[in-house]
Amino acid sequence: MSRDSIKSPAATLASNLNSSTGQTGKPLTITTLVSVGQHPKSGRARVADQDAKALELALSLSAGKGTAAVGKGEAGAGKSQINLIHAGTATAEQQLVLRGYLGMGVGQMRVLKQSDGADVIPVLVDAVRKSGSDVVLTGSRAEAGEGSGMTPYLVAQSLGWPMVPAAVEITAVGSGEFEILQALPRGQRRLLKVRAPFVASIDAAAAEARQTAWAAGQRGALEHMTLSSNDDAVLAEAAVEPARKRPKRIARAKKAKTAADRFKAATAKSASKGGAVLVKESAEEKAEAIYQMLLSQGVLKAR
Amino acid sequence: MLESVIPWLLAGFIAVLVAGMLRRISLWRAGQPQQVNLVAGLMAMPRRYLVDLHHVVDRDKVMSNTHVATAGGFVASMLLIILVHGFGLDSVWLARALLLTTVVMFIGALFVFRRRLNPPSRLSKGPWMRLPKSLLTFAATFFVVSLPAAGVLPDGFGSGVLAFILLAGIVAGLGEMLFGMGWAGPMKHAFAGALHLAFHRRPERFGGGRSTGLKLLDLDTSNGKTLGVAKPTDFKWNQLLGFDACVQCGRCEAMCPAFAAGQPLNPKKLIQDMVVGLAGGTDAKYAGSPYPGKDVGNAKGSPIEVITEGLVSQETLWSCTTCRACVEECPMMIEHVDAIVDMRRFLTLEQGSTPGKGSETLQNLIATDNPNGNDPQSRSWWAADQNIPLMSEKKEADVLFWVSDGAFDMRSQRILRSFVKILKAANVDFAYLGDEERDSGDVARRLGDDATFQSLAKRNIATLKQYKFKRIVTTDPHAFHCLKNEYPDLGGNYEVLHHTRLINELVAGGKIKLDALTTAGTVTYHDPCYLGRYNGEYDAPRDVLKAMGIELAEMERSGFRSRCCGGGGAAPITDIPGERRIADMRMDDIRETGADLVAVGCQQCTAMLEGVVEPRPQVQDIAEMVAAQLVEIEQPASKREVA
Amino acid sequence: MSDVIRKDPRKNWILRNRLHPLHEQVVAEMNGPAAVVRGPSGLIRKNPHAVGFIGPNGIKRIDRLGGSGSAAASAKREQQEEQLPIIAIEQPQSYVVVVVDAANGELSAHDRDVLGQARLLADGRAENTAVVALVFGALKAALGEAANPDHAFGLAGADRVMLFDDECYAGFAPEQQLEAMLAVDRQLSPVNWLFPDTHLSGNDRALRLAARLGERPAMHAWQIKDGKVTSRGGSEMTDITRDLAAATAPRILALASECALPVDEARYEARLLPLPSVPNAMVRIKDAGAVAVDPNQIAMGEAEFILSAGNGIHDWDQFHATAAALGATEGASRVAVDNGFMPRFRQVGATGTWVTARVYIAVGISGAVQHLQGIGSCEKVIAINTDAGCDMVKRADLSVIGDSQEILAALKARAEQGAVAVSEPQQGKADGESNHNVA
Ligand SMILES: Cc1cc2nc3c(=O)[nH]c(=O)nc-3n(C[C@H](O)[C@H](O)[C@H](O)COP(=O)(O)OP(=O)(O)OC[C@H]3O[C@@H](n4cnc5c(N)ncnc54)[C@H](O)[C@@H]3O)c2cc1C
Ligand code: SF4
Ligand code: SF4
Repeated sequence: MSRDSIKSPAATLASNLNSSTGQTGKPLTITTLVSVGQHPKSGRARVADQDAKALELALSLSAGKGTAAVGKGEAGAGKSQINLIHAGTATAEQQLVLRGYLGMGVGQMRVLKQSDGADVIPVLVDAVRKSGSDVVLTGSRAEAGEGSGMTPYLVAQSLGWPMVPAAVEITAVGSGEFEILQALPRGQRRLLKVRAPFVASIDAAAAEARQTAWAAGQRGALEHMTLSSNDDAVLAEAAVEPARKRPKRIARAKKAKTAADRFKAATAKSASKGGAVLVKESAEEKAEAIYQMLLSQGVLKAR
Repeated sequence: MLESVIPWLLAGFIAVLVAGMLRRISLWRAGQPQQVNLVAGLMAMPRRYLVDLHHVVDRDKVMSNTHVATAGGFVASMLLIILVHGFGLDSVWLARALLLTTVVMFIGALFVFRRRLNPPSRLSKGPWMRLPKSLLTFAATFFVVSLPAAGVLPDGFGSGVLAFILLAGIVAGLGEMLFGMGWAGPMKHAFAGALHLAFHRRPERFGGGRSTGLKLLDLDTSNGKTLGVAKPTDFKWNQLLGFDACVQCGRCEAMCPAFAAGQPLNPKKLIQDMVVGLAGGTDAKYAGSPYPGKDVGNAKGSPIEVITEGLVSQETLWSCTTCRACVEECPMMIEHVDAIVDMRRFLTLEQGSTPGKGSETLQNLIATDNPNGNDPQSRSWWAADQNIPLMSEKKEADVLFWVSDGAFDMRSQRILRSFVKILKAANVDFAYLGDEERDSGDVARRLGDDATFQSLAKRNIATLKQYKFKRIVTTDPHAFHCLKNEYPDLGGNYEVLHHTRLINELVAGGKIKLDALTTAGTVTYHDPCYLGRYNGEYDAPRDVLKAMGIELAEMERSGFRSRCCGGGGAAPITDIPGERRIADMRMDDIRETGADLVAVGCQQCTAMLEGVVEPRPQVQDIAEMVAAQLVEIEQPASKREVA
Repeated sequence: MSDVIRKDPRKNWILRNRLHPLHEQVVAEMNGPAAVVRGPSGLIRKNPHAVGFIGPNGIKRIDRLGGSGSAAASAKREQQEEQLPIIAIEQPQSYVVVVVDAANGELSAHDRDVLGQARLLADGRAENTAVVALVFGALKAALGEAANPDHAFGLAGADRVMLFDDECYAGFAPEQQLEAMLAVDRQLSPVNWLFPDTHLSGNDRALRLAARLGERPAMHAWQIKDGKVTSRGGSEMTDITRDLAAATAPRILALASECALPVDEARYEARLLPLPSVPNAMVRIKDAGAVAVDPNQIAMGEAEFILSAGNGIHDWDQFHATAAALGATEGASRVAVDNGFMPRFRQVGATGTWVTARVYIAVGISGAVQHLQGIGSCEKVIAINTDAGCDMVKRADLSVIGDSQEILAALKARAEQGAVAVSEPQQGKADGESNHNVA
């Protein structure tokens, strides 16, 4: 398949940008979209964990960690610019939280003020479009509100850029090309290659965000812009309530179709885990019991 | 000949001394302004020296007498020398007095000399090894030089070779005593120390008072000032002065639990590094014990360089448990903990570099009002079956029970329940805040985050304002200290009691009766730093134990010399590695008494000591012990049913 | 311990007994998972020499059903079980499409739950509605052209199957997969698109499709009831319920596991549908393959299987060897770290890492609160300790009381044996009755 011949306008734009980012040493522009999170226990507004990790990735990318394009000697040449953008109601309480991102070492944040219940995607897309970004980083899932995880996809879709989910590490390898390490379950990783511009969402497994310095956050600037809001009609129609406890699945007794089934149902262990204690068995038997549990949990990788 | 040279020498040395002093003063004045009462301070200085400082020095009787002889001898000699040799006052009696003072000084100096023959490791060497010889030289020389004036020897006695020897002695003696005083020799301590006593940042400490609460940080970020201390000049000027008063006696070092555990902290070295910072230079001349695991000679700094970038490593600052053992022991009344927390404030608030679990803990405190990120609505779960009246319902009670974050911890809950049992048995009119309570801010503050401390404290104060109560009682010495000593700066003034004090009152007032505890074996008591050194509460816990018929097997380090359990100052959160665990060393102290049980009065100490690998003595809070010995008052003790 | 029998007879017994919970695993072992490997391109490569095992009479046997056995209407099964009815949807008028994960070519439990939900949605409609299972990548058990009611897909409730097993869909190929979904959307105009809400597969596909189509999906949905779909909001703190009959009703749904019960009362046709023509996507995200991660390099917080050492370990070489034999990530108590036997970053607990392993084995760890705090969210805890009264035993789901050295030795031997059993062909020697394995 020769896909190279097909070039969308976005791709052309991409290659233009690429030639200007990597080789000529034009500094990168990295935009991080951040939201106001929510503490899972108290429900109180906080710096969103994944968004902070996204900003952390942006900061380390801008510091040129492993950037081949930026020679070590060219001081400052590779210093990328970080755009921090938030769209939302930005109440006083939320602004305190937003300053938490500034406290990670970014001088200012663009705050796109929206009315309550607005769909923030259009203003975000507009802001990113105007920012001349090469890389847009977001969290994977918002902590507050619907938390559908759509934001990065919609931004990427509107811009016509590729969208890379679950990034844990991003390295610029030069010529506008980036290597992205993607988190797979159980600590496994996959390597992806993508050219700027692109959008990436950051996985919870990414490096912990640096601590926010309170004073730096206070001194940083929140540049407010009040923009007209588009109401989020869909969410307005939906019923939003505190989460209910999910009912435990009751193992519906399979209709006993055979004698064997009936026997199985009769002898099935109850779900309660007793916490078996083996004392008198031989070491081999004890090991066997452990081994069986490992097998049943599926943690033993067959070789 | 000598007679004619001495006045000029004196004048010259005094001029150099004054120049040195002025330069030193200008170094201090580079610090931040701080209001002090100059006149009153200077007036109070002699008394502070003679009484308060002496009180500390007096813990080592020989050294104390040595110092009185040497210092008193020197000050008196110097005055008389100026009169006799400087102004040439021709008075035999003055000269004889001078002979006497030099003899006293000489004797003192001999003791100094003796101590320096085989100095303990805590003492700094280097120039300090020279000092006794200089003192002897000074005293001996001026004794001889003054003999003619006293009429003991004929005038013109000092001539020829002897004159040269005496002259050399005078130069050497004056050089050490005067030049050295102004220009950072060991004698600097006398000059800086005197002024430090006069302009101490915590004058309340003199006259038997106590001042242990940290100072409030101005959180205004709009004036371009850094929060906390980044560079030496960010300290208050009188803090800089205080550092200069250090005599490198190393008493702080000998007491410091972090130093003993091999963590990279030595309070003496820290103070000396502050001196290096305020004057500029390197620590190459430092001749004492290093920070464990770090070589001397690599630190350098200046008044306007960031301290943690080359002078002191961050781990050093985070190793401190804020136990105040160093402060308690320092004969110069230097405030190590203030300095350490000031620098931590910079690291946390300006740099965001709190180590270990610090950042996480602070985020939790901000988002949930407790350090472990528990649901704030579950704070009162421990009391679900306790039937404790809520302040929000009762509005008024004699005693407000401050529960603290032990509410979330299963082990601490045993202490809380025990204490509730006691309160109920004594029919105390009490209530608690339930979910309305928040962390006191202790941990945030020791982590350097005064913003979070102030936010928590202000909200707690606002909550407390809604209710009427006479006293607050708490089982947590850290909360106790915060509420009692640190909330007043934010407008919260309360009478706060530690639970052992209230229990003691109840016992004394006959409100509860305790059975003798005979089955515990040997019992010792561990003084929590925040109860003892911070608040002087040494007696109440001991009295309660005595009321249970317990004869304490005291540890060598108990009372004001108690060794920290390692749990203070957020040290378990930052968890700077050392060679040993502080708690293990404390447990060894406990084992030395042969104790089967160690009584404590703090949930944090309980956690730290129980974190020591078994087998080890049992650890129990006094509340737990008391609750188990409660006897119904109406019935005679013998009728108590034992199930 | 009656269920601990010497390994050979036990294995054979499990092989014979298809109802045994370990049956599938043992069969897989027998066939040798090493037989199927993914090449660097993500392409499946079969090693013909590793496939199969030697049967009782010395003849090599190959299980072409991938050991799942579920597709085979074996004689034995027919004897034992009544046949489930086959339900066929002829000429469907509308479709519910389920994009299953089918990682490694097999339906997961989560896939089956979503198919179960799809069934409910399809069967609840007035018109003839078919459930279409859409699969990217090859299947382990092949589907013929005809109806396949006994194939795993048929048993799970799929009327039709669309199999995109071209090489360009393999690995992480979200762009090409999206083109395929768009083509299916054009062809079938499904009434609903269902996805298992899984990291990087179902979740990513649902979001991509929704973003491209400009639709609002219902993500993290955990319940569909009375014509309404309920999704979990951010931080799992809210439930957002939307009416499936409303004009703004979500068509694209990403469903949590256990959203519905899997199908178990009927069989469906699982008939392959011809594929629409799919345009080539412009591939801008290039998959450079999995990065090998040594279990000991996995961040503690992410590791799913941890063997953790405490003060009760006396032979450290043995401990490391056991961890290696089990393929476990190593952990430690603070005492083991303090004593210098383990590096600091391995410490589990209040001042170390809070781990989330599925299985945590605590060897010689007493279970101090500070340690237990760190394993609060581990699913299964196994304690190996000499002291039956210690707190770790109270916390553990399985405890073996005894000397760590002895038990680790046995466990290591057992683990190595497990590996041996896979590669040693004579394991199947006494396997006279495992007729379902006949090719
Ligand atoms: C503030 C604070 C923070 C702490 N943070 C942590 C932390 O993050 N993580 C942590 O782990 N600890 C932490 N601790 C320490 C904790 O309290 C315990 O001291 C520690 O967890 C005990 O480690 P252990 O179980 O390995 O050792 P031990 O308590 O000595 O337990 C050893 C166990 O091994 C068993 N055993 C002995 N010999 C054998 C043998 N031959 N075979 C099998 N079993 C044997 C014993 O029965 C015992 O149960 C903390 C403590 C404090 C105070
Ligand atoms: S407060 Fe305690 S730990 Fe800190 S320096 Fe002083 S003695 Fe050491
Ligand atoms: S700080 Fe105080 S106790 Fe420590 S060496 Fe200096 S004078 Fe002595």
